[in-house]
This record gives sequence, structure tokens and C-alpha cells, in this order.
Amino acid sequence: MIAQEQKPIEEILGYLDGKKNIVIVGCGGCATFYHTGDRKAIDDMAAKLVSAGKSVTKIPMPFSMQVCDVEKSEVFLNKKRKALEDCDAVLVMSCGDGVQVATEYIEDGMGIVKPVYPANNAIGLVGGGPTKFKETCLSCGMCELGKTAGICPLTSCGKGLMNGPCGGVRVDNKCEIDPEKDCAWVKIYERMEKLGELDKFIEMRAPHEWSKCKRPRLFEIEEPVNTITAALGALPDFLSYAISSKPKREEEKK
Amino acid sequence: MPKGEVYSQLMKEISEGKYVFTGELEPEKAGDVDEQIHAAKELVGLVTACNVTDNPQSFAYVSSLAAAYKIQKESGMECVYQLRCADRNRMALLSDLLGASVLGIKNVLALAGDHVSLGDTPDTKPVFDLDSTTLIYMIRKMVDEGKDLVGKEIHNPPKLHVGGAAAPGAAHLKAEVAKVKRKIKVGVEYIQTQVVYYPEVLDKFFKELGKVDVPILVGIFPAKSFGAADFFDKYVAGVDVPPDYLKSLEATKDIKDKEKKKDEIDRINVEYFTNFLEYLKGTPAAGCHMMAVGYPRIIGPLRKVMK
Repeated sequence: MIAQEQKPIEEILGYLDGKKNIVIVGCGGCATFYHTGDRKAIDDMAAKLVSAGKSVTKIPMPFSMQVCDVEKSEVFLNKKRKALEDCDAVLVMSCGDGVQVATEYIEDGMGIVKPVYPANNAIGLVGGGPTKFKETCLSCGMCELGKTAGICPLTSCGKGLMNGPCGGVRVDNKCEIDPEKDCAWVKIYERMEKLGELDKFIEMRAPHEWSKCKRPRLFEIEEPVNTITAALGALPDFLSYAISSKPKREEEKK
Repeated sequence: MPKGEVYSQLMKEISEGKYVFTGELEPEKAGDVDEQIHAAKELVGLVTACNVTDNPQSFAYVSSLAAAYKIQKESGMECVYQLRCADRNRMALLSDLLGASVLGIKNVLALAGDHVSLGDTPDTKPVFDLDSTTLIYMIRKMVDEGKDLVGKEIHNPPKLHVGGAAAPGAAHLKAEVAKVKRKIKVGVEYIQTQVVYYPEVLDKFFKELGKVDVPILVGIFPAKSFGAADFFDKYVAGVDVPPDYLKSLEATKDIKDKEKKKDEIDRINVEYFTNFLEYLKGTPAAGCHMMAVGYPRIIGPLRKVMK
């Protein structure tokens, strides 16, 4: 998921300075997990904008419908065409990807030219949850995990070294730039030791092939996924997950 | 235009209103710059200063700082130290600029640089921590205020002049010109253009730019061979080499006698660029940057045109 946090309201109001009618676009994807684009987050943002003297129209996306997935988000954007036409600015509550997909669709797909502003700062591709997340993948285009016992040093090592640990590792095996973070290369060593693969550790890994990460990267697939079929097909599993994870969630609440 | 003190011969001549000529030297993948020192010696008296390229087209070569220092010291030719953002973060750029001051360099041409994936070491991690505009901004802050980017004081600030690049042949000229104006806004002291072959291209650029208080040196590229011109035509963005000029150079490939071939290439260049330089006299250009890499012998004949 793409972790994100809301920008300071002062920054958002700065973008919206001199603009009266605002459309807020939410996101039912990652932004829902980080409370930065779900219905409640939109309501809270709307209240702040209203108290700053703005008029607001809300375009929430249902759960699992991401604003970056244009095939879905266009349906909800088109429903509010009039509001988009009449507004002074659009505020998108998603990651930067969603902001740009919405901008492009509103402009090229709907023919409406409006300033579009971000409400959030995207932090990175993270895993974990439900409340604690960790960035573990750079999406670099050339995965090195096969050479590093399944721990990515480009992401997890502060320096992104391919051959660590560096000289800055702390006495408690934490990183020199943050005492809260583990040294990725100590982790790699320990994991290789467990796997009986320490012979690999002392082999020099070649410099990373950054040519696989030429930005902006474009991507194409032959067959688009039918999300309706996929979602309906997943329904039994989803229900069984909901039932089985209920006690755990209630325990967490305590 | 420098408002304060003038540190270099290049900036002195520009501010005196002299029409200046600059040349270009390209350090290579080698452990020395003997060839470039030799070329620089040939150019003394013909050009005011010579650019020393920094990993051109993202090919990893001798450090332009080391080369500029050595060339300046051994040949007496004033150097314009080219510095690109592709390979260095803001700390390395600052360190190298202070190093340039230590080594007596007086002119810097601040560039973003070609993307590393286009060069000879494409797996390199591209840096671009700063861009050409923020690099110019940083240099002016170092020189004028004696401070680094975070506001820390620099003891004995460097005395450097900073130039920037412009591409008159850019596909989106309005955006390019707006970028040049942004560079001017942050304090660039002169602009050197990418190579131009067509007067129409330059006319459009000057028209779009309007009157600016910054001298502009126009880049020309007398090619020492058909291959060099062809490379420019094919691989350098925003530069179209005229087909007739290319064709005449291509025809020299059939000349067996080396001396005759050289003479013919020189004749083609003198003919083409005589017209272009004559035209340049009537433009707002403050001078001409002759990017005749590895081809110093052509500079003399071309200089005669502008006497």
C-alpha cells in the first residue's frame, strides 16, 4: 500500500487561497487505510474548509475504489460533473498518483480545466498493519531480494548499500541515522546465518542496475482485470476473513 | 551582466562590451589531459576562455575540475569549469566549487547534464539533487553572500562567475525561454546557447527572449569530421544539423589523401560558418562559443571572419 499522511491544513488553505468553491475528491484505496481519503477524512476536511469560508462538494470513492483506477473513479467524477465545472479548485485526498490521475481525467477525459491540489503527502510503499507499517520496497525495477536473504538493503539500509553493514551501525545494531531502526545489513547477516547461507554474505554484490528505474516508468498489460468478477469471486473468502478476524480485532480494541 | 567585482578575463571582456570567443576542450577517459593542454595552447590568443566539459553525454571522463586546473596552469588558457548536477549531490557540488576556488578557477558553467542512462555507464544512479537553476542559485549565494544553501557562512567565499545554458532549438521554445528567464532571475551572469546552425532558430529565440540584461554567447559546432556532425544531428536533443552541410562533410569520406581531406573539411566549415558568423554580427549575441572539440585549427580561420 502507499502510506500517506495529511498535509498541514495551513498548506492546503494556502493552495486554496482566493478560491471559494472547492470539490474534494476522496479515495477508497490506500487513503482509506491511512484515514486520509475515506468518508470521515473527507467530512473532517470539508468542515475545516467550510469554517475557512469555502463552499464544498464532496466526491467520495467507495471502499476499494481507488481514485488512481480511472475505470472506477471516472464513474464518480462524472456524477459530479456540474460541481467540477463550477468549482474554483479541486482537492484530492489520495497519494500523488491519485491526484495526477484525477487531474488528467478531469482535464482530458471530461474537458474541464481546473487547478487540482494534493491534500496528502505519500510516504512510500509499505507493508504491515493494522497500525504499524514499514517501507520495504522501492519498486526499483530490479529486485535484489534473491541476493540479500529477502531483505531489501536499497530500502531498509539508510544508505541503500549493496554491501553493508557500514561503519555507522550502533552498539545495539540500530542504524546511525535513526536509533529506532534496525541495521538492515545486520538483519541480512542474521537471516543468512539462520538459512546457512553465510558464504553468500561475503560475496560482493554488484552495484545496483539503476537503469531499470528510468523515470517515468510506463507499464502495459494485455488483459485488463475484471474487477467486478474478481471482487464477487473473493466475496466468500472475504466473509470468512471477516468472521475469523473479528475476535482478534475486538481484542485489539481493548 | 556582472554587477559587482569582475574576477575573470572572460567576464572582464564581456563587461567591457568586447565581442568574445570561447572554445571547448573535452577531457577523455584517460589518466592525463596532455592532448587538451596541447589544444589549449593552440587556442591562446584566439579565444578568451575555454570550457572544460564535465562528463559530456554522460560518458565518465577525467574530472572537469582537475582538467580545468591543469589546463589553466599548463597552457595559460582561462578555463570555464563545466559542472553538472547529474553526478553530484548538493554537498559534492559545493565541495567541488570550493575546490575550484582553491585551484584558481574563475568561471563555472552550471548544467543539469544529460541523463546518466544515455551515457557509457547506464546503470549509474542518477543524482540531480539540484538542477541547473538551483545550482546557479547556490553559486550566487556562495559568492555574493558567502553562504551555503542552508545559510552557513563560508570563510573567504569563492570568487566565481556563473554561466548557464539555453537551447534555442528546443521543441517548446516558450517553456525554454521561461526557464532561461528563471535562470536570469536567480542571478546567472551569462548564457551560453546550445549549438545553433540556422539563423531562423536563433532569431526566434532572441525574439521570444526579448531584451535581457545578460550577455548571450551563441554556440556553434564546426565539426572535424562527418561522424562528429552526424552524431550531433542524431543524438543531441534540440540540434538539427543542416542536410547540405552534412552532405558536404559526408563526401569528404571518399578523399584518400589525409591532408586534402583535412583541407576540404576546413573549407566546408569556413564556408558554412563564415556566413553564420556574419549573420551573428547583426544579432544581440555578446559572443560566440566555438564548440570545436578536438579541432582547434579551425578557430583561427573562423576568427578572421569576425575581425
